[in-house]
Amino acid sequence: MDWSLFVDPSLFRLTLVVAAPVLLASLGEVLIERSGVLNVAIEGMMLLGASAGFLAAYRAQSNGVGVLVAMATTALVGLVLAVCCVSLRASQLTVGLALFVFSVGLSSLLYRLVIGVRTLTPKVTTYGAWATHGPGLVSWLGRLPIPVYIALALVVLVHVVLFHTPFGLRLRACGENPLAAESHGIPVFAFRYGSVLVGSALIGAGGALLPLLLTGTYTDLMVGGRGWIALMLVIFGRWTPFGVLLGAVLFGYVEALQYSLTLRLPHVPPQFLLMIPYLFVIIVALRAYRGAQAPAALMKPYDREQRS
Amino acid sequence: MTVPEPSAQVTGASPEQPAEPPRAAVATPTGRGLPASSWMWVLAAYLGALVVVLVGLAVVTVLAGASPERALATALRDSLLTTAGLAQTLNRMTPLLLAALAFSLAYHVGLFNIGMDGQLYAGAILATGLGFLLGTALPAILLVPLLLLAGGLGGALFSAPAVLLRIRWGVNEIFTTVMLNFVALYLVAYLCTGPWNDPMAGEAITRPLPFRAALPLLVPSGGGHSGIVLAVLLAVALAWFLSRTVFGLEVRSVGGNPRAARFAGIALARIQITAFCVGGALAGLAGAIEVLGVYHRLLVGLSPNYGIIAILVAVLGRNHPLWLIPATFLFAVLVAASDSLQRTAGLPASAVLMIQGLAVLVVLVMEAVRARRARFVV
Amino acid sequence: MSTPIVEVRDIWKRFGAVTALAGASLAIYPGEILVILGENGAGKTSLVSVIAGLYHPDRGDILVDGRPVRFGSPRDALRYGIALVHQHPELMHNMTVRDNIVLARPRRRRWVPLLAPADDVERLADDLGIHVALTTRVADLPVALQQRVEIGAVLYRHARLIILDEPTTFLTPQETDTLFRMLEGFAQRGMTIVLITHKLSEALRLAHRLAVMRNGQVISVVPRAEARDDVLIQQLMGGAAPEAVPAAPAASLPDGARAEPVTVLQVDEVTTRQEGSAVALSRLQFTVAAGEIVGVAGVAGNGQTELIEAVVGVRPIERGRVVVHGRDVTQASPAERLRAGLVLVPQDRLRDGIVPALRLWENLVLGLHRDVFAPWRLRPQVGRQLARDAIREFAIRAPHPDVPVSYLSGGNIQKVVLARSALAVRRRPRPVLIAANPARGLDVRATAQVHAYLRSVAQQGGGVLVLSEDLDELMALCTRILVLYRGSTAGVFTGPPYDRYQLGAAMLGQHAASVRQAGTEA
Repeated sequence: MDWSLFVDPSLFRLTLVVAAPVLLASLGEVLIERSGVLNVAIEGMMLLGASAGFLAAYRAQSNGVGVLVAMATTALVGLVLAVCCVSLRASQLTVGLALFVFSVGLSSLLYRLVIGVRTLTPKVTTYGAWATHGPGLVSWLGRLPIPVYIALALVVLVHVVLFHTPFGLRLRACGENPLAAESHGIPVFAFRYGSVLVGSALIGAGGALLPLLLTGTYTDLMVGGRGWIALMLVIFGRWTPFGVLLGAVLFGYVEALQYSLTLRLPHVPPQFLLMIPYLFVIIVALRAYRGAQAPAALMKPYDREQRS
Repeated sequence: MTVPEPSAQVTGASPEQPAEPPRAAVATPTGRGLPASSWMWVLAAYLGALVVVLVGLAVVTVLAGASPERALATALRDSLLTTAGLAQTLNRMTPLLLAALAFSLAYHVGLFNIGMDGQLYAGAILATGLGFLLGTALPAILLVPLLLLAGGLGGALFSAPAVLLRIRWGVNEIFTTVMLNFVALYLVAYLCTGPWNDPMAGEAITRPLPFRAALPLLVPSGGGHSGIVLAVLLAVALAWFLSRTVFGLEVRSVGGNPRAARFAGIALARIQITAFCVGGALAGLAGAIEVLGVYHRLLVGLSPNYGIIAILVAVLGRNHPLWLIPATFLFAVLVAASDSLQRTAGLPASAVLMIQGLAVLVVLVMEAVRARRARFVV
Repeated sequence: MSTPIVEVRDIWKRFGAVTALAGASLAIYPGEILVILGENGAGKTSLVSVIAGLYHPDRGDILVDGRPVRFGSPRDALRYGIALVHQHPELMHNMTVRDNIVLARPRRRRWVPLLAPADDVERLADDLGIHVALTTRVADLPVALQQRVEIGAVLYRHARLIILDEPTTFLTPQETDTLFRMLEGFAQRGMTIVLITHKLSEALRLAHRLAVMRNGQVISVVPRAEARDDVLIQQLMGGAAPEAVPAAPAASLPDGARAEPVTVLQVDEVTTRQEGSAVALSRLQFTVAAGEIVGVAGVAGNGQTELIEAVVGVRPIERGRVVVHGRDVTQASPAERLRAGLVLVPQDRLRDGIVPALRLWENLVLGLHRDVFAPWRLRPQVGRQLARDAIREFAIRAPHPDVPVSYLSGGNIQKVVLARSALAVRRRPRPVLIAANPARGLDVRATAQVHAYLRSVAQQGGGVLVLSEDLDELMALCTRILVLYRGSTAGVFTGPPYDRYQLGAAMLGQHAASVRQAGTEA
């Protein structure tokens, strides 16, 4: 076996491309969890983003429109989550699971309604490379599609906002101790609603990138657990954008590797290779969970009048 | 129903630290012995869910371009009002009930088992494999129980890594079980397209099991197998165990306040592992039943999301084994009805998933509203 | 009389079937120190929570500077300069001291990256005596300092009316002095202070005016000059003066035991590992003999929880031994230690003691369930009878034995936990009772009952270890008091009588070696 395949530059490029959807979803989840809400509907939201995004892009012949529509759709689902969990203080875990199932169904239904049954699978042109010319490093970097750059820029942006602005300090306070935050005059409910909406939109964008960046088509199974993986990456990354970036890149690498291995090892049943990313993620989780310090008020519904 | 929010657990706190019980658990009543007005809310919640289901089905039927009344009438007939239809419903109820019991058992010790699908497949794989091996060597009366046991064993073994990882290293079991679901799926895909494949039957389906490796039929005309009897008996047994044995008390304590349970001398890890793996065994049993009772082969679509739906059912059934029986029955009717609608009105299966999610959401919302209004009673 | 800075009239507040406030009215005048006095459950915290915008009153009016207002949330109250410092410091524990204080004041430009921090934060921290680096994580600070950080945040917000809810709960006598001096300084500078306490002595020390609350109402308000102890006590308790609590001296060892004290519990150089935010025990050493009541004093957060966990077996011990009745149980499981004779009344009934979803009788037998219901079947009839007996004996207010224990009020839950310990004590020949905060949440009468129960356990030959934040309780009950500081013994005192300030000094870690008081010899 040719070991150089592990360090092939095109593999690294593929890594970043494959990582982008999961990265965006994890970023969104970081925002949501930092404000104190857990969103387990993320897998369903990604699928919804994929479905709505694909359909909009297909109809409007524009990937940009697709991403925007996906973001709006998932933000709506996020709104439902916010109403149920922040205002009504229902159990975040079960509401999330119910929304997950709902979103999965909705995604599939939307696709059926718009596309129906056809012999030719509808396709969309995926985002291509941004620039193919230029010297050395620029050329290597430049061959990445635009959404990847946007995702990387967002990592930096979210980091700066979260850790270097008063706004971010207040957001984190909501997730640490909502009672103290309110006693300081911070509108906890507003912050939680805001971060859930923005975070959900990012998750939708991540989902939309699955058809629009990777495959060009939509299938009901295309998220394949990436939402759950994004959830774990948030813990792995210790609820920070750069930590999440590292995790997403690791995951992207393994998945990209799996594609090339499938080509180079035709005698190994493909299903075993497909299992690799999942097993890898479980092993990563072992490391991720040691000493993880979550936002202290994560998952606890904030009830001002609660007596303990 | 207040779900104990496992704050430290989901977010990966060190497993050696005594776990934190939820504060919310004491502030809001837990759902038994509520005053009359609260029972009205509960009733309203379930009625609301039912309304959502009916309206949702009607809407989607119309969107699919068929007449709602006629389609729904056929659906009812095919799921409830004929013997054959009822048999179909019962067949679907069995794996749902077993998977829901698995979820609720884990829930009772404060853990979340989202891997019922994977455990179901693991049980099915073991049962099928053993069936191929011993199918002609043993008489049916020995073979069938053995294969069912194998199914249980497969499910238990497949669920063990998740709970062990959780107890030893604090890795959240939601995550591990979901990942293992995918692993199981790919394993089944491999077996069905590879070594066990039946080239004449299709691409992703195995050879048939020997004739005698089949569950006895309860309702011959509709193909209703006797697995339902086993499932219901297990549900009743579980209910009895939880409320009437020392072990059951320990299980409920661990789920309610793990720290207090430890101070009371209860062996937390042992209880959690046992409960979780018994749940896995139940899910694995469901897989074996599907193979032995319905398909007589292993195939990739063995579980049409039974695992996830079972979670919703468990939430609706308030995680009480006895309440799960009617709850799964209703959901099974819904599944059978939607199968019929798929045939007659071209209703996509996904729509049903949507409606199920929505129905549970309605119940959860009403439950939250009710909890806000009634806090302290004494 | 000037306009009150805040006035509440006829406030009603219900939580389900519990009425927390039943027509409470109070006026607070600018620049004064008003102390609200009341027993547990009188409604003090509820009233100030209404004033601070945390609770919505069901009925009643709130006036600020004479004008009616409605508070939607604490933010609205803050706008008028009203702030609440909670009993348990409510801070962002994972964030730094600076972040916690700075959070309080809104900046005009919310998105601009935080630049060099303002040094008014430094000055404020200095004024308050917070002599640690401002980048220290709040979780790493002792409780007294955490409280100062919370006060700092409140001051940073330019609060005019500061409400402090039982602020001395976690303070040593010396720290209490410092705090009171600080509060008097604030009042002199024109701030209004409202302080909640159930300790009469504190109230009399600090107050300009005293308000007494009982059963959700403000019973009386008097200026300090007119306050009289006996009248106040009567108002606090309501009706006849309480039966004189037996002024019996602290538990003296039963005569037989004096001759040869049998050690029932030995904690021998016990050391635990430093883990997360837990306090590591360091060569902890003490014994409890049969018939003895030994006390453990210390500011909360100095290892009390870890001590209990280590002795009961919930926390692994790295070095050292725990010996119960001569049996080394260091490696034994909690279940085995319970069988060896250990009985526990846990520190926090909700966190450590009960399972909320279970019924009263099920909680009552928790820990004993394997003995009571051998071999494997539960028998509800037996359980219910035990519960009925306990309800009678401990005067637990519960409708029936099957009620989910979460429905009971805090004090009654405490009684359930005590009743459970009594059940266990009776089943053991020489029980080793570890009682942490045994009378928390109980009124004066019930507290006296609990103390009598503890004494009876010792008199019948058991050994009792009492951990409490209430020095008075320990001084009345114990023949020996151990002071816990940062996970090890900072002093051992015999008595009575005890010197409260010596104990306080040890609680602050100011005496390394064990100090013996002149006179008494064990």
